Parts: sequence; C-alpha cells; structure tokens
Amino acid sequence: MSDAVVFYTVTLIVYGVVDVIACLGLSQQFGVAGVTNFGFIIFQAAGAYTASVLSLPSDHANGGFQLYVGGLNLPFPLPWIGAAIVGGLVALPFVFLVGKRLRGDYVAIGLLVAAVMANLIVTNYRSFLNGAAGLSLVPSPLQSRLNPQSLRYQWGYAVVGILLALLTFWFCRRLTESPYGRALRAMRENDLVADSLGKNLRVLRAQMLVVGGAIAGLSGGVLVGFINLWAPSAWGYAETIVLFAAVIIGGAGNHLGAVLGAILVPLGFEEATRFVPAFGPPGLIPAFQWVAIGLLVVIFLRLRPQGILPERRRRLATPAAVSGLTTGDSLASLPLGRRPGPSHGRDRHDDVLEVRGVSREFGGVRAVDDVSFVLKEGHLTGLIGPNGAGKSTTLALLAGTVPVTGGRIVYRGQDITTMPAYQRARHGIIRTFQLASEFKRLTVLENLLSAVPDQPGESFMGAVAGRRHWRAAEKVHLADAAALLERFGLSAQSNAYAGELSGGQRRLVEIMRALMARPDLLLLDEPMAGVHPELAALIGEELLRLCSRGMTIVMVEHELSYMDRFCDPVIVMSEGRVLAEGAMTDLRRRPEVVEAYLVG
Amino acid sequence: MEIFLASFGFGLITAAVLAIAAVGFTLQFGVTDVLNLAFGAVMIAAAYVAYWLNQAGLDIWLGLLVASVAGAALSWLLNTVVYAPFQRRHASPIALVIVALGMTLIIEFGLQAIVGGTSVSYTMASGRTVQAGGLQLTVVQLVIMALAIAVMVCIHVLLTYTRLGKAMRATAANRPLARTCGIRSGRVINLTWLISGALCGCAGTVFAMNAGSFNATSADLFLILILAAVFLGGPGRAYGAMLGAIVIGLATEISAAYVTPSYKDVIAFLLLFVMLAWRPTGVLGAS
Repeated sequence: MSDAVVFYTVTLIVYGVVDVIACLGLSQQFGVAGVTNFGFIIFQAAGAYTASVLSLPSDHANGGFQLYVGGLNLPFPLPWIGAAIVGGLVALPFVFLVGKRLRGDYVAIGLLVAAVMANLIVTNYRSFLNGAAGLSLVPSPLQSRLNPQSLRYQWGYAVVGILLALLTFWFCRRLTESPYGRALRAMRENDLVADSLGKNLRVLRAQMLVVGGAIAGLSGGVLVGFINLWAPSAWGYAETIVLFAAVIIGGAGNHLGAVLGAILVPLGFEEATRFVPAFGPPGLIPAFQWVAIGLLVVIFLRLRPQGILPERRRRLATPAAVSGLTTGDSLASLPLGRRPGPSHGRDRHDDVLEVRGVSREFGGVRAVDDVSFVLKEGHLTGLIGPNGAGKSTTLALLAGTVPVTGGRIVYRGQDITTMPAYQRARHGIIRTFQLASEFKRLTVLENLLSAVPDQPGESFMGAVAGRRHWRAAEKVHLADAAALLERFGLSAQSNAYAGELSGGQRRLVEIMRALMARPDLLLLDEPMAGVHPELAALIGEELLRLCSRGMTIVMVEHELSYMDRFCDPVIVMSEGRVLAEGAMTDLRRRPEVVEAYLVG
Repeated sequence: MEIFLASFGFGLITAAVLAIAAVGFTLQFGVTDVLNLAFGAVMIAAAYVAYWLNQAGLDIWLGLLVASVAGAALSWLLNTVVYAPFQRRHASPIALVIVALGMTLIIEFGLQAIVGGTSVSYTMASGRTVQAGGLQLTVVQLVIMALAIAVMVCIHVLLTYTRLGKAMRATAANRPLARTCGIRSGRVINLTWLISGALCGCAGTVFAMNAGSFNATSADLFLILILAAVFLGGPGRAYGAMLGAIVIGLATEISAAYVTPSYKDVIAFLLLFVMLAWRPTGVLGAS
C-alpha cells in the first residue's frame, strides 16, 4: 500500500471506531434502557475538549494564540481517561430531568435544547475553550516519543482504537445480558410497571446517562487525539440525529446492530458521498446529506422500526429437574411465598395495612373520598363496587403509583403515606394492573425473572462483576419460574415474547410475575378478567393457599362468584367511599349494597 | 433608563412574534399530541414563500397572507403524510419526536438545497419611527404588535365562543371521551393542523421581517424560545403560551441589553430547564 492509501485507510478505521464507540453508548442508553438523550453529542464534545485541555500545554505556550482552561500537559493515557470521566460527570446535571415524573419526550426536548445551548455558550465564551475557532494543535498520544506521521504509529492508533471499541462492546454486552440489563429493558418497555416492581427509575436512568456519557466522552478523546483539533462546528445538535439514525437503522437494543449502523450511516454515508462528483453550488451536497439522514430515520421508523439487526430474543433453558411437577402439585411445594415484612414475626392476625381517611382528587373530582379500612394478615380481601367506584385508584394509592391527597397509610406499623412506589415494592407491597402491563419485548420467563427481589446481578456493580456473581441466584429463580409456568400451563410459551400472548395468558404472566416478587401484601386488579373460568378457579385456590402461608392479598374483581368462593372479608366501594365491609353472605342481605352494586 | 426602554421595546416585538408562534405550537401539541419540532422549519419555509412572492413584486403584507396559507397547507400535509400514519400505528411519543426531528432536517436542508446558504431580506419600507412613551418603534414593528394582538383576540374568540374551539379544547383534554361525546376528532385534528399551521406561517414571516435577514436554518434558535414560552405557560395551554411569550420575549431582550447579546437565548433555556424540572405542566398548570 502506498502511504496515501495507508493514511486514508487508517483515517477511515479511526473514524469508524469513534462512531462505533459512540453508537454503542447510545445503543445502551436508548436501545436497551429507553433513555432518549437528544443531547448525546454534548458528551462526546465534553470528552474531546477534556482530552484536548489535559494534553495541551498551558495556553501561553504557543504564543497564546488560543485561550482555554486547563492546559495540564498530561501524558497519555490520562487525557483519554479524563475524557471518559468528564463525559460521565457531565451527565450529572441532567439527572434531575430523568426522574419518573417527566414524560420521555419532554426529557428528549430538554436534552436537545441543552445541546444547542452548550454549543452556543462554548462558541461565544472564548476564554473557556477558545470559542468558535476551537482548539487546534492538540497533541497526539505519545507524540514526544513516537512520530505520529510514521506508518507504524498510524497502524498502532487504528489497532488501539479497535481494541477500545471491542472493550466497549464487551462492557455494554456484559451490562445488557445481565439481570441488570433485564431491569433496564423492563423499564424501557413500561416504566410505571417497572417502578411498581421495585426498580428505582431515577437511579437506573441516571446510571445510563453517566455510562453513556462516559462512553461518548471516550469516543471524543480517541477522535481528538487523531485529528488534533476540535471546534463547536464539529458537534452541532444535528450530529446527535446522525448517531440516532445509525442506532435505529442498525437495530436499537442490539449492540451488533449499533456497530453495523455506525459503519453504515456516519462512516459509510460520509465516505460514499465523497466520491459523488461535485455539482451545484457549495453546500448543496451536505444539504442533501442531511435530507437523506432525515429520510432514513423517518422511513426506517415507518417501515422497519426494529432496524436491520433486531434485538434478539433471549432464550433461557429451564432446568429439567422441576419438570417432574404435575399440575396437581400445589404451589406450597415450591419455595415461593412471601418475603418477611419489615416488622415481621408477630402474631398471625396482625394488621398488615391500615388505611386512615385516604382521599385522592383528580381536578376537583374525588375519586377516592375518605376511605378507611384495615387488612389482616393472611386474608384474601375482596374489593368490589360499580365502575368508577374508586377501586383501582385505591389500589394505586396503596401501591404508591398515585400519591394520596389526604389521609394516611400505615404498613406494618410504619407510615408509608409518602413512600415512593418502588420502595413500597421493595418492602413487599406488589400490585398488578387493570390494563395489560406485561413487558412486551421480554419473554415470558424474563417477565417473571424481572420481578425477583433479591438478585445480586440486578445492580450495576453486580452486572459489572459478571455472570459468576449472579448465575447461582439466576438458576434458583429460573427453577421457581419454570415451576410456576408449569403450574399455570404456560410452559410451552416460556420463551415467547409476552406481547405475543393472548389476553388471558398475559393476565397469567402478570400474576405469576407478581408472585415471583414474593410479596408480603399483594394487590390484584381484576386478575381473572379474560381468564378461562377453570384457570380462574385454580388461581383463586392458589391465592388462598398463599394466604394460609401468611400472604395478605387484596383483589378487585367484578365476578361475584369468585368473591363468594375466595374472598373474606369483602369491601364494597361506591362513588369513592367505602359502603360496607364484611362477609359476602352478609353483604348480599344488606339493601344499600344490593342497591348500589348487586342490582344496578 | 434609555437602555431599559429600548430593550423593553425590542422585548415587546420579540414577544409579539413569539406569541403567534407559541400559541400555534401549543394548540398543535395540545390537540394533536404531536410535539412537532419541525415547527421552526415550517415557519422558515413559509417565510420563503412570502419572499418569493415579494421578489415577484407582491407587497410583503399580501405575502404574509399567502405565507399563512402555505404554513397551513404544509402543516396539514406534514400531519397527513407523516405524523398521522405513525399515530395510527400507536408509535410512542418518543418515536414521534424522533420523526419530527428527521422532518426538521428534511425541510430545513431541502429548503437550503433550493435556496442556497446565503441570507435574504424582504423588500419593504420599514416606515417612519414612532415615539411612544419613550419607546422608539418603527411602523412595521407597531403593525407586527397589532397583528399579534389581533391574532390573540381571534384565538380567544375561537376557543371560547365557537363550537370548533370548544371541540378543540375537549379533544385536547381527553380524546377518547371527546369522541364518545360525538365530537368528530379527526375533523377537529385536521382543522387544528390548518389553524396552527396558519399561525406558524404568519409567525415565520413576521419573524423574518423582524430579523431583517434570514436563511434556511434561522429558526433553530427561535424554536428554543418557542419551546420555553410553551413550557412556561404549560404545554397545550393557549393563554399560558401568550403569557410565556411575553415573559420570554422581555427576559431575553432585557438581559441582552444588560448582560451580553450573545447569551440572550441562554436565559430562555434556563427558564425552560427550570420549568421542566420544577413544574412540567407550566406556571398555570396543576402540580
């Protein structure tokens, strides 16, 4: 190869490596965790600037022709490490945006605007990072000892870049293919439900912002070490869209797709158009490039939203040992049950939950109005009432999905009125939802495993520690899940996506998922709606069995025959208030109950 | 004091332009549920329609009228061809925002491919300067403000007294419920795209008049001011957007006079961030 070809090839490789690393960061953030960071380019820019000012000498050195902070003249690899660290730290001010209260599209807007503003400020504030002209003469790594113009140095840079890309790929894969990655995907599919299963959305999203930011920062460091200059024109907000285009086209949620997208879109695109003969006025070809990027994004989202390499289905082998169970075996023979409550260990008939004068208003309408009741340990309490009586809202208040506007909730002696939903879930209060709430693009088994409370691999550090750290726990939980699936006749669907199941099957998945969380207090919202009556009876019996082992359950249900068979006591609600409470046989004799519900 | 009054005058004009745009944006989002980031791109496209007519010898105020029609047509087309098919397939709000960003690139740079990268100006008389209570304003600037007030009154009448306006508010509050109440939400949504699109085209042209010169990407930063005004007043709230426009218009221009003009948009950005973090439903919205 002639020197020119080598330089061109190496340039291509380095650009490709930078794009691959950045796209992997975005794939982790957006594809896996569903955090839409339209300001992604800020983090790459932060890394590039950091690597520059760490490796540049003080700004007086070159006759002071450019102004910048820092200028620490640090040796390689400190500038690159600094790039990754600062890329991660830059994420911290944005963490307040990603709590669960804010809609995902508003977060995206906030970050997009931040990208535009960051660029504006850096452009105008010259003494910070030399303004619009940007930084130049950024030292190449090890340039005092090696000759950056030599062929060996060029090849070396390409190889180091490729190794870093591989390392990033390995790291992202390790995160994604762990119980932690499963929690991230669950959050992506339905954040409210993930919250109700004890996932701390704010922490998970903050971790994703920081990890993605660090990866983007690293990519910036690698780039600036090679091209030796960095200016605001290199990181306009629209550059983020190019990276999004790459991840969407390659396949969001599949890290290999991100690699493919990085090679096809930012790299392939820029290079392909280099060979188009110049035509029209200057700026015409770049304008067409942008139009084409926009078209690619829109067309792919319309025709193939899953991308070229879709997220692959994680097939999990269920242990053969438990398949000896027959449907006649009871759940009691499984290690499933409740976890101990916070102050567990008192008498069996303790009050588990005390609801005192709880209210909830929605824009002046009192959906729940001064409701009080007590839940006794080991009881399956029914909650009935006409449509709009406030039953589902009551469950949401107990689980913390919706905050109360008045009253108090005491759980095993502890006031939990203001406790967020994920913490209540961690204390053992688990709810299901009236509307389908399965994680659609998680398999049935993954749905079940996602609820397990004590999986060491579900923390960030646990995932980083690797499979060895969490494999044993996973095996136990897989056995539990397999036994549950067998019990409810869904074994054949274990590795199907939950979104592909029938309505009744999804209901079952949701109940099983709640049981996998080993609740102390289980709140079920119409668990038997759409479920075959025989199966519904089976569910009822299993719930009673769990109660006999100390679990406390509340069940909203319209079908009164189930109330008759399984629930005692039953609470009747009407127009946001508790109308009556007692055994079903007594309630049927009370005229106000019959009038409010049983007849009307 | 002179500096203050001068910047106050600039602020009022910016607020006037911003109000037309922000009310259009917020109606569009509230009723149709599309966070249309291509709004700024459509504004500029409409401004160019006025420019071409202006170049052909048409008076710019007639051009403004045609630009409003063009904005309406383009916005309706954007929804019918792009956004509506996504919504029919229950695309997530995030997917729609990404699509809207893609459309921004397509419109902006498609336009740039046609008109080139240089800036252009309308041929128009700016009129004599009027002294009003210490404020120095040109006739054109006064007309822009009068136009903004007229538009706000029209929107108020539309939302308060007409069946369409009430249907729009009902659709914004609860689309399935509005439909079951006999409101033809499809028709309401189409009309909303036309009305908000007309506001968008009108805003684009007065923005271009006020800016003096413009090019295909001029509205990028202005979109941030629009977003800030919309989120300050609460997304989907027309009166909130009017209030937000006044606050943002005055805040940016007055800070430009006292701090430095390079950073005048930063204050809008900070306000937007504070709103997103503290109260995403706006100062008038429910907590």
